[in-house]
Amino acid sequence: MTPRSEIFEVLAKVCADPMGYARAWKTRTGRRVIGSFPMNFPSEMAHAAGALPLIIQEAEDPITAGHGLLFPFYCGFTRSAVDQAAKGDLAVLDAIMFGDHCVQLLGAADAVRVALPDTRVIFFQLISSMCDPWTLGRSKESFEKLRFELEDFIGEPVRDDAMRASIALFNRGRQAMRELYRMRVEGRVALTAREMQYVVKSSMVMDRAEHLELVEALVASASENLPQPEKRAVRLHLSGHFCQAPKPELLDMIEGCGAIVVGDDLYHGYRYISTDVGEEGNPMDSLARWYLDRNTGVPCPTRVQNDVDWDAFLLDAMRKESAEGMIVLMAKFCEPHMYYYPEVKEAFEKAGMPHLLIETEHESMALEHMRTRVESFLELIKRRRGVARANTPEGEVA
Amino acid sequence: MNAPVTLPKPPGAANKLKSTRMAGKLVNDYWEMVWRAKEEGKLVCWYEGSSINPFLEAADIVWVHGEAYSAMLAARHQEGPAQAAAEERGYLRELCSYARTHLGCAVNNQRHRNGSDSAFADVPADEDISAKLPPPDMIISAYAYCSTGQQWDEMTSRLFGKKIPIFNVSIPWIWASGKDAGYCRGQEWEETSRYVARQLEEMVKFIEEQTGKPYPWDRLRELMGNVKKASELRLEAMDMCRAKPAPATLFDWSVSIAPINQLPCTTDIVDYFTNVRNEVAERVRTGEAAVPKEKYRLFFDGIMNWNKLGWLAEKFARYDAAVVAGRYTHMAFWQEPDLIDPNNPVMGMGQNYLICPNNHSSPILIDLIMGLCEKYEVDGIVFHATRTCRAFTNPMFMIAQEATSRLGIQTTMFEGDVADETFYKDELLNTRVEAMLEAIDQKRLSAF
Repeated sequence: MTPRSEIFEVLAKVCADPMGYARAWKTRTGRRVIGSFPMNFPSEMAHAAGALPLIIQEAEDPITAGHGLLFPFYCGFTRSAVDQAAKGDLAVLDAIMFGDHCVQLLGAADAVRVALPDTRVIFFQLISSMCDPWTLGRSKESFEKLRFELEDFIGEPVRDDAMRASIALFNRGRQAMRELYRMRVEGRVALTAREMQYVVKSSMVMDRAEHLELVEALVASASENLPQPEKRAVRLHLSGHFCQAPKPELLDMIEGCGAIVVGDDLYHGYRYISTDVGEEGNPMDSLARWYLDRNTGVPCPTRVQNDVDWDAFLLDAMRKESAEGMIVLMAKFCEPHMYYYPEVKEAFEKAGMPHLLIETEHESMALEHMRTRVESFLELIKRRRGVARANTPEGEVA
Repeated sequence: MNAPVTLPKPPGAANKLKSTRMAGKLVNDYWEMVWRAKEEGKLVCWYEGSSINPFLEAADIVWVHGEAYSAMLAARHQEGPAQAAAEERGYLRELCSYARTHLGCAVNNQRHRNGSDSAFADVPADEDISAKLPPPDMIISAYAYCSTGQQWDEMTSRLFGKKIPIFNVSIPWIWASGKDAGYCRGQEWEETSRYVARQLEEMVKFIEEQTGKPYPWDRLRELMGNVKKASELRLEAMDMCRAKPAPATLFDWSVSIAPINQLPCTTDIVDYFTNVRNEVAERVRTGEAAVPKEKYRLFFDGIMNWNKLGWLAEKFARYDAAVVAGRYTHMAFWQEPDLIDPNNPVMGMGQNYLICPNNHSSPILIDLIMGLCEKYEVDGIVFHATRTCRAFTNPMFMIAQEATSRLGIQTTMFEGDVADETFYKDELLNTRVEAMLEAIDQKRLSAF
């Protein structure tokens, strides 16, 4: 069995250089690489077409060429995607597919199409109003349109049985990653937030069969060398950060302050792996159903759905995770998050659940300033523990 | 803090159209009607984006266009209390300032109506018109292009405790896929038009549920007849501004947005645009200029900075620059009256909603803008990089590049915002516009 350290070395390398991985894969297989924008394009479709599906990631590089296409008051992901396109870093992609509707993402896609005139950029807007009588039908129609354009691009049909096989493989991958999440909550595996990000983020890039093998090995080896968690460590839920992954050094800092992350709804986390696609019947029906189900499972502020509440989901998830507080990671200029944040804030205040908002930026992060805020936040939670103990019969006796 | 303007200040450098003064009265009458709505027992609908107001007006529902209310507050410099209330609730400053201002009105509204045991309990100051906005009985979301619109409506619904019925019309972006794609043509256009029209038919059923009455289609046909006529007159008047000197500028057309966008669709709007068309025609006949010493002709790309409308009109006039056209004014607001069939209006209304100036991707959008620049013979483009309106800023760099490479004209950018004047930097605008005008002068000299 591959040792855990070696597995994480592979995953970390993919996360650090997704395009490098894609280039090597393409050289090795001679097959197409199809990129997609986050967060709702089903990669299964491109996989069934024989390509490597790759979700475009925010790069570490400072923005340079991208400044000529997009203003600085855009989120880090969109600016980085455009910057990568302008620098030629997306040259490995044979096509880019997306269906999302965030206004900044639309702007970025438009700019990417201009920057990459020889790359086919396929778009069909997914309905973002999730509880209309026609949402399911329109979703299916949208996925069919995307599939039609994909078939036009590759010059052959994407067969239903290939779709079902890809769906099954992706489901296994999601299930294995969810198992790691379960084990972390139950204390059966010691995974840092950085490591969990490596697991999920690399799945957005790697050959899925190769990735599955590594994750299953992680699950199997999990009980080995399990260190005892620090007793006073504060159990935290991380929320937010949609299209882009939080910087690993930020995650390290949070845990370094005396917290353990026990759950999240990050896109580069549980949000991405939350929901499986049905493996029976018409795959386009299954993808449409999946699109609706995942927003009920883990509500997303980029969608509108009056009958589900993200704030209620968060409070419930935290109860199940026995989390004592939540850090909201908001990518600066992320409009959907800015819209929904007051709802979360109000619900958490009403529930007496502590939370801390941290805004992140592409270029700079005042990590030391953030550390002070996180330390104070954790201190506050620890004091609440003391108050809670004092208010219990046991505490009164003590 | 913005530095004081260093330009000389002759009063009234801009020769504004006289006929547009009527807009002020019509706008005031309209908002008075809105503020009286509850006293008169009327249902109130909040909406943003697309001009669905004729659907509501026909059904005797009072309509409140969120952007219009925010713009009105900003133009009157009364946006402060609403924006402060929004900030207090947790809406961050980088959020669309139209939405932030309007949501602030909703917060204020709740605050003043809820009991004293509420965290929102307060008493409005007499001059705080943000709190006068009547709460909605229904919300309809029909927003082209910008995701912010749908989320703004959803958050409004949540602010009112999800007790207000809400209806969503999804208006997809025209990506220009397929070889037949173009402005108002191609398979994508046809399919998207049908999709939007179907939803509008459903929206009418929603309206019927709210009013409890059959929908008065005859009334809608009558109103859309007025809209079509007003739109034709407006476009005719705009077209006359190809004349040199230009008889009217973008700032006149900005003042005229309310009459075409959200005022009652009665014969008043036909009369308004008849008067505007007649005055423009008369100015063309006599050679009367909107900018008395017109030396430069500019295109304005970006949404209006409502806090600074009069200020900008004067500023450009003092530079002898006639801002003859713009993306916001010349590519929106019932822009294609030929598509409207008053006898069967739904499809044409939906198609006009799809022609929001941002709802076409850059290949189509850029062609349209280049066409306008050529039509009005502009020397340059001024981009208003609207800080919180990414819908408008999205294609700006691409438009600028095409303007330079395709038309060889100058461009410049300044930062501002729709309803939050703290983003506006006056000195930046001065320096950049002056530099652009100098470059235009140099180009003219070198042409001799």
